[in-house]
Amino acid sequence: MIVVVAEQRGGKLNRATWETIAAAQQLSSAAAVPIAVLVPGAQATGVAGEIAAADVQEVVTLEHAALEPYTPDGFTAALQPAIAQLNAAYVLLPHTYQTRDFAPKLAARMDRAIVTDVTAIKKAGAEAAFVRPMFQGKLTADVVPQGPGPHFVTFQIGAYRVDQAKKGASAARVRAITVDADASAIREKPEAPFQQAKQAVDLSQAERIVSVGRGIKEQANIAVAEKLAQALGAEIAASRPICDAGWLPMERQVGSSGQTVAPKLYLALGISGAIQHLVGMKGSSTVVAINKDPDAPIFEIADYGIVGDLFEIVPAIIDAVKG
Amino acid sequence: MATIAFWILFVAGVAAFAVQTATRVRSIAAAPNTFSIDDLPFRINRFLADVVLQRRTIRERPAAGLMHAFVFWGFVVFAGYTTVEFLYGLGIADLTRTSWFEAYRRLLVPFASAVLVGILYLLIRRAIARPVGLGSHVSIESIVIALFIAALMTTFLLTFRLDEATMAGRVNWWTHMLVILAFMALIPASKHFHLVVSPITVFLKSPELGNLPNLDFEKEQVGLETVNDLGSKMRLDAFTCVECGRCQVNCPAWGAGKELNPKTIILQTQQALLAGQGAAKLGEVYSEKVLWQCTTCGACENQCPVGIEHLPILIGSRRGLVSNGDAPAYLGAMYNNLERRSNIWGLGYDQRTKFVQAAGLETFDPAKHDVLVWLGCAGSFDADFQKSLRSLFAILRAKEVRFGVLAKERCNGDPAKRTGNEYMYQELATGNIEDLKTAGVKKIVTSCPHCVKTIGADYAKFGYRVEIVHSSVFVEALLRNERAADGRAALSGSPAPNEVVTYHDPCYLGRYGGVVDEPRALLARFGAEVREPVRNRDNPYCCGAGGGLLFADKEEEPGSRISDVRFKQLQATGAGTVVTACPFCSIMLKGAQASAGAETQFVDLMTFVDGRLRKATA
Repeated sequence: MIVVVAEQRGGKLNRATWETIAAAQQLSSAAAVPIAVLVPGAQATGVAGEIAAADVQEVVTLEHAALEPYTPDGFTAALQPAIAQLNAAYVLLPHTYQTRDFAPKLAARMDRAIVTDVTAIKKAGAEAAFVRPMFQGKLTADVVPQGPGPHFVTFQIGAYRVDQAKKGASAARVRAITVDADASAIREKPEAPFQQAKQAVDLSQAERIVSVGRGIKEQANIAVAEKLAQALGAEIAASRPICDAGWLPMERQVGSSGQTVAPKLYLALGISGAIQHLVGMKGSSTVVAINKDPDAPIFEIADYGIVGDLFEIVPAIIDAVKG
Repeated sequence: MATIAFWILFVAGVAAFAVQTATRVRSIAAAPNTFSIDDLPFRINRFLADVVLQRRTIRERPAAGLMHAFVFWGFVVFAGYTTVEFLYGLGIADLTRTSWFEAYRRLLVPFASAVLVGILYLLIRRAIARPVGLGSHVSIESIVIALFIAALMTTFLLTFRLDEATMAGRVNWWTHMLVILAFMALIPASKHFHLVVSPITVFLKSPELGNLPNLDFEKEQVGLETVNDLGSKMRLDAFTCVECGRCQVNCPAWGAGKELNPKTIILQTQQALLAGQGAAKLGEVYSEKVLWQCTTCGACENQCPVGIEHLPILIGSRRGLVSNGDAPAYLGAMYNNLERRSNIWGLGYDQRTKFVQAAGLETFDPAKHDVLVWLGCAGSFDADFQKSLRSLFAILRAKEVRFGVLAKERCNGDPAKRTGNEYMYQELATGNIEDLKTAGVKKIVTSCPHCVKTIGADYAKFGYRVEIVHSSVFVEALLRNERAADGRAALSGSPAPNEVVTYHDPCYLGRYGGVVDEPRALLARFGAEVREPVRNRDNPYCCGAGGGLLFADKEEEPGSRISDVRFKQLQATGAGTVVTACPFCSIMLKGAQASAGAETQFVDLMTFVDGRLRKATA
């Protein structure tokens, strides 16, 4: 059995679970082993119903006092017998913060191999090989876990897409299992979870960003950039001087003293590209720069550069996008 | 009878002095020894200039400084007089009737008058004018001491009017002597202790500004964590402080309205030592927040007239914090960049390679090249600063200087060193030293003043010595020697001032490096009229980038940004162009300019020179 450990909190499924199900489906088709999704924690039933739509053999819920609230000791104590019950050959998990917290402990407790942060599965001979980055991503390694199963594998977020997970013809069977685990052996006493004063805008998750620099000239012109952002379904952001001037709120500042972003598309309007700005957006997949100054440093890192007046170019782009 | 009474008072005065002084001496003796007397000729020279000639006291505050010098010189020449009078009062020897003493006494009259003028000036300044650096309230003790000094001089001058045998004469003599004894009892606990210790402190001050010996990890050194860790020189500094506030008024953080005040740091040290709070954490004695506001510009230490070294305390305390994982979050990100990518930006070295190839640079080979050009983090990655480097390359090529670059560079380690991450600094430094040695480098030119200071002065602490100069020094010598060699006139022809510029001295070049004339000579050579901003040459006002603050969120509230303050000072010169000579000053000041929405132009010194050379040869 390939066991996928779903991650949920208070009945809300972590979407990365679907990515792991997609990975499990690839592994399952190669190894011809059925998939069970294990949903640990309180209020697992609703989540289980959601997951049952996937093309998996069964969905198993596990509720136990040791699982609430989350602690690494509790998860290890409860999951170890559950994995044994399900007769797992592989245990697959999304590489979330929670997984990073308990999975190494669980694998060590069971004395089994674990491969973390996997980005792809390769079929190598009889055994599956798992691809993972090494040396800050400079190399990738194909890892074949050794020794008796189950083998633990965690998948990098985004390595598989949610929409890759195949849905089943009919809903999978949902059942509950129980385990014996000693909740009193839990050493951690977690405080109630809290969210740090969150920035109203989280640009780090934005897929597209339209960013404004000094070249926008005056506050009234921000509207031009906002129109473009709307047309592209993008977030609006800015370099330091714009936020200093109060033309856009501070939380929209990108750069070493603002947010670090990595969108698929970064459209820089009238941004010269001071290094402090560049380090905040260097992770963008595609950078498009519009600037009057052909010597602007932004063109050094832009994939596409337009030298010209943004007030002519931006309306044209808006028309093109809408048209 | 009188002699016995005088003996009793004398012993009381001396005992009061000795007991209080002993507390301080014990504190210093208990400390880890950080005294050093290396480079004696330099120390002797500085002693003559700063103590005997009162250079540093006078330089920044000419009027008050000169008055202070009067008082100081007066005190020195009075030493013999005081000794003779004490020998007389104690009944040991009566030399007061000798003819040489009479002559000496007459010689003292002009000195006494000068002291009187000086001390009255200083008294009025302190009590009435009250400059900000002296603190918010008038120190009563200072007033008392000033009146004491005035009384000493007055009673001395009165000896020429009053017959010693008369009652008035006796009272006058006793007043003089009792004031001296009271003075002795008073000074150890006051800022006037500097009378006794500041000559020693000046002598023991490191010849190197911001001297930070490497931590020895084998000996488990982790920097300064508690008051007990403060070294002997730091403690001497704390007891020497004269509270003049030169450090305070020159501090860019204080000037921008931050909480950091270098004078407060020294006085807090003094209080903690005297209160016996050896176990107190320095992060609490000074406040962590304050410690992270220092740009390490060195103004405090460099302007101090009594030999105090602030930077070893500030950066030493940062080391203690970093060793305990207490660095601000923005530094964590920067340390990650240094650890993973060996540069402050966290960019991949393929980008440096791209620039090196695009600029047609050769890998350094001692057989082929005279000098190594060190690119630095800014030169390797900042497209804006790379323009300045291209100018430098163009100048070097035009003047047929054979140069190369290293195949790979790491950050020199300055941002790690100055923020107290000594371990990371040593990793970077030893790696670079290895590479420089392997490459057979003898001479380095760089456009980054931080690289000059760190590779030149800090790497020497690993026993690695290499000649490294800033591009302004190298290019200025190049052009000057060329002219001398072929007898040509200035390259720009006879220069009629045709552009008004202002020049921003980088702290690590002007203050640390003492390079102030070469950049100006280059500007003048090509006909630029330099309008000096306030705070220039070897006492510039920092741009706000140093000490890791390049990465700080708005340089940590409160107050304004240091860069904004400096930009306004440069703007106030009325010059339309600001010439910079450091990539980090350029980043900070351009940021301030953009935020201010000002039209001021910025040009790097090398770009300026290259442009003018091209014009001249065209």
